[in-house]
Amino acid sequence: MYKSSNSVGHQSEGKRLRIATVFLLLAIILAPSAAHAYAGPGAGFAVLSSFWAIFVAFLYSFYALATWPVRQLFRFFRRRNAYGKAVFNRAVILGFDGMDPELAERFMKEGRLPNLAKLRDKGTFNKLRTTFPAISPVAWSTFMTGVNPGKHNIYDFLACDRNHYLPFLSSAEIKGPKRQIKIGKYSIPFGKTEIKAMRKGTPFWHWLGKAGIFSSVIRVPVTFPPEKFQGVLLSGMCVPDLKGSQGTFCLCTTRAQGDKFREGGVRAPIEKKNGVYHAYVPGPDNPLAETAGHEMRVNYEIRPNVAGKTAQLTVGSEKFTIKVGEYSEWIPIEFKAGLGFNAHGICRFYLKEVSPEVEVYVTPVNIDPGHPDLPISHPVTYSIYLAKLYGAFATLGLAEDTWALNEHVLDDDAFLAQAYGNHHDREQMLFDALDKTQQGLCTCVFDTTDRIQHMFWRYLEEDHPAARDVPKSERREVIQDLYQRMDKLIGRVMEKIDDETLLMVISDHGFKSFARCMNLNAWLHQNGYLTLKDGKTESGDWFEDVDWSRTRAYTMGLNGLYLNLKGREKQGTVDPSEAQALKEEIKQKLNGLVDPASGTVGITGVFLTNNVYRGPYSENAPDILVGYGAGYRASWDSVMGKVTEKIFEDNMKAWSGDHCIDPRLVPGVLFSSHKFAEEKPAIVDIAPTILKLFGLALPSYFDGKPWDLAPQPNATKVPAAVPAT
Amino acid sequence: MLSPLLIVVVLSVVIGLLMIVLFGYTSDQKAIGIAKDQLKAHLLAVRLYRDQLHVVMGSYGKVLRGTGRYLKLAFKPLLYVIIPITLMIVWLDRSLGLTAIQTNTPFLLTAHISDPHGKDPQALDGVTIDLPPEITASAPPVHVAADNEVVWRLVASQDGSYDVKIVAAGQTVTKSVRVTSQLAQLSPERWRDHFWQRFFSSGESALPQNSTVESIVVDYPERNISLGVAGYEMNWIWLFFILSMIAGFIFKELLGIEV
Repeated sequence: MYKSSNSVGHQSEGKRLRIATVFLLLAIILAPSAAHAYAGPGAGFAVLSSFWAIFVAFLYSFYALATWPVRQLFRFFRRRNAYGKAVFNRAVILGFDGMDPELAERFMKEGRLPNLAKLRDKGTFNKLRTTFPAISPVAWSTFMTGVNPGKHNIYDFLACDRNHYLPFLSSAEIKGPKRQIKIGKYSIPFGKTEIKAMRKGTPFWHWLGKAGIFSSVIRVPVTFPPEKFQGVLLSGMCVPDLKGSQGTFCLCTTRAQGDKFREGGVRAPIEKKNGVYHAYVPGPDNPLAETAGHEMRVNYEIRPNVAGKTAQLTVGSEKFTIKVGEYSEWIPIEFKAGLGFNAHGICRFYLKEVSPEVEVYVTPVNIDPGHPDLPISHPVTYSIYLAKLYGAFATLGLAEDTWALNEHVLDDDAFLAQAYGNHHDREQMLFDALDKTQQGLCTCVFDTTDRIQHMFWRYLEEDHPAARDVPKSERREVIQDLYQRMDKLIGRVMEKIDDETLLMVISDHGFKSFARCMNLNAWLHQNGYLTLKDGKTESGDWFEDVDWSRTRAYTMGLNGLYLNLKGREKQGTVDPSEAQALKEEIKQKLNGLVDPASGTVGITGVFLTNNVYRGPYSENAPDILVGYGAGYRASWDSVMGKVTEKIFEDNMKAWSGDHCIDPRLVPGVLFSSHKFAEEKPAIVDIAPTILKLFGLALPSYFDGKPWDLAPQPNATKVPAAVPAT
Repeated sequence: MLSPLLIVVVLSVVIGLLMIVLFGYTSDQKAIGIAKDQLKAHLLAVRLYRDQLHVVMGSYGKVLRGTGRYLKLAFKPLLYVIIPITLMIVWLDRSLGLTAIQTNTPFLLTAHISDPHGKDPQALDGVTIDLPPEITASAPPVHVAADNEVVWRLVASQDGSYDVKIVAAGQTVTKSVRVTSQLAQLSPERWRDHFWQRFFSSGESALPQNSTVESIVVDYPERNISLGVAGYEMNWIWLFFILSMIAGFIFKELLGIEV
């Protein structure tokens, strides 16, 4: 009986054990003491983090709620000024860099752009006069400041250092700390990196902010370094990569060294050891090194699978597999300088080939938006917020790697995949900003339109030199597809807005073919304005072998021509009293210059900048702006200060469309949901127009004039979007 | 003899490492990373758009939803981690959480008698104790009728492991008593039923089902570990909690494991 009882007891216990096993976890969590509920640091972190997140969110929300009435009251009085005369509750400005009015009109006629056609029919469609020159950083600077370049100081991507006849980035200057402390082999920077904005003038969203109107500004060019104002801003064009350049890709290859890339990229050898391929991503110079030129690198391994046409890459702690012709996600990389100093970047890997050779393309190393070593947003947390919300994204100003396509490192498909990948990220940011900015200004610039037109114009023309070898059957309707994609995006935006919102779709300039190159330095040389050292018929880059003591004019950059002026240039030869006459002389000779090969006018306009610009920074401008005719542009060599024997030559690069020509030939577009009365709108007018529509007084220094809304008998309505197909 | 502080420090570091690695292997690292990032994003949104009430409230809601998603993702690795660590904590608590009986120091031993038929004032009278020679009773037993308990005040004269016999209703059951000044595995309680109490507090087999003795408890004093700073003392589990979290935090950073 006792035994039996015991046996029953054991059975009962076994049953309980089974039940206990099932309910062990719940019981441990719910029943026993806190000490027993502790399940190791992993779970501990999970629980703590969760409660921390809720706690912090609660605190923030509580603070926001508790202070909301006070802030609303405060804003009410401020807003009465801002919104008292406001016509719209919100303005949404979509910038499509380089969208061309003629192409837009053509595609609308063909029925490809139903949403833009709706805007045209119900609101405004017009050409938007651009800046002199028609270059993005110039035009977007004018867009945001409402002034001519003489007041915002941006004349090109590059500006000229008159002391050294060398270019420097026109938009921002980055200087390392002035003082350094030497410890052993290290030279430790002491102090902060100084980032100086070269663009002057005040963006109109600053004026809105002062009136209490919130703005979301995404990727508008020349907003690096970001400035403080009431709103959020993600910097765009001109943000450098981690090397400090405007984009340096890397081709890692097992092939013997090929030609150096002219610009925009480097080669890095891949070496095979014990069946594994080893390569590296080149980074910035080590800031702790005593002398410059000590490049930091991040090594990585490649394990190709030839049969599967894939490779496994190991970069730091990241291990991933990609197929041939496929990009990786954005991979975080960390360059270690020593003494705990690291530089944080992100890049994508594109597997080009695994057999017979191994080749991997690596994008320029972008500043990590989730861990920015340089400020790329205002507030700094905005880029972190976006990176946390949507994952890492391209932060480089010129994020689409046009150089890699030019150098045949990427093919058309790889370039398009990269460009549309960036575009997708930008769309996500735009729609987030639209959701968050129910009142105020929301503006976002898309670069895809510019880059794809630059690189694929060759397929739009029958006989573009860069596409002569491409059979017609292989030419794709890339640009048509681009415009249609943008139209669908506009349709989705139209679904998000109401009658109280003004929608504007603008571009900074249009586009034309770039079939023929003109070396202006060669023309100056052959016409006696620029002299090479004895015995030389050509120069190297950046005026190598130019005899400055016998040179009166030179050109660098895309449209600017400079006199070698005494007292300004280091080895100036032109007396200031003779300058105006010399400019007139050059203008007269250049204007209407004919390309002897085709009989076409290569230069349709020459503009003296003292007639074009007015403002405190006019003296930094080139002396003359050269307006090339349609189909022409400054040659690649001329831009880089090289003198060649030929003046005109075919442009054989994929970069086959351009806009750095006579600005009168490449106006941008203006579409809007509401009709404006202005017949000849200009990009300089947008800032005053927006301020006026929000009921704000206009600063007296504005060069632009605000547009009036066209009187309409009925209340204005935003046209319904055409559903995306 | 190793000091308890050193043992807890070493255990915390080793277990912190093991648990982080186990968490890393058993969790969906990518999903956890995304869930955490989303949480941070919504927190940042509250700050970035603090003047816009709809954003603040919407983000707060998203934080709550995100927290739920994150805890859900942490639950699977929790299942893998919680069993070994719970067993280990229970096992360690018997050594580090309590101090063994010291010689010539009185301690209490309590027998809880079940009384299924109602309050019987006589039920406790038949309960006796049979002590080994090294342990003596220093006072007569106390009957706590309200709780059906008999409490003995005992004193040990010599270090060792002893079995104390309790006789009730003609049945004899035993309870181990450990007397030592060293660290030792202790079993403070012996239970007839009560699976969870046995699991957490007993290192002995269950009392027989037909025994009238429901539990026997030796009142081992709690051990506090001296931190060597201003005489500050702390229960080992809290020290373990803090140190293993610190170790875990360091190892998760070093190993790149998302937690």
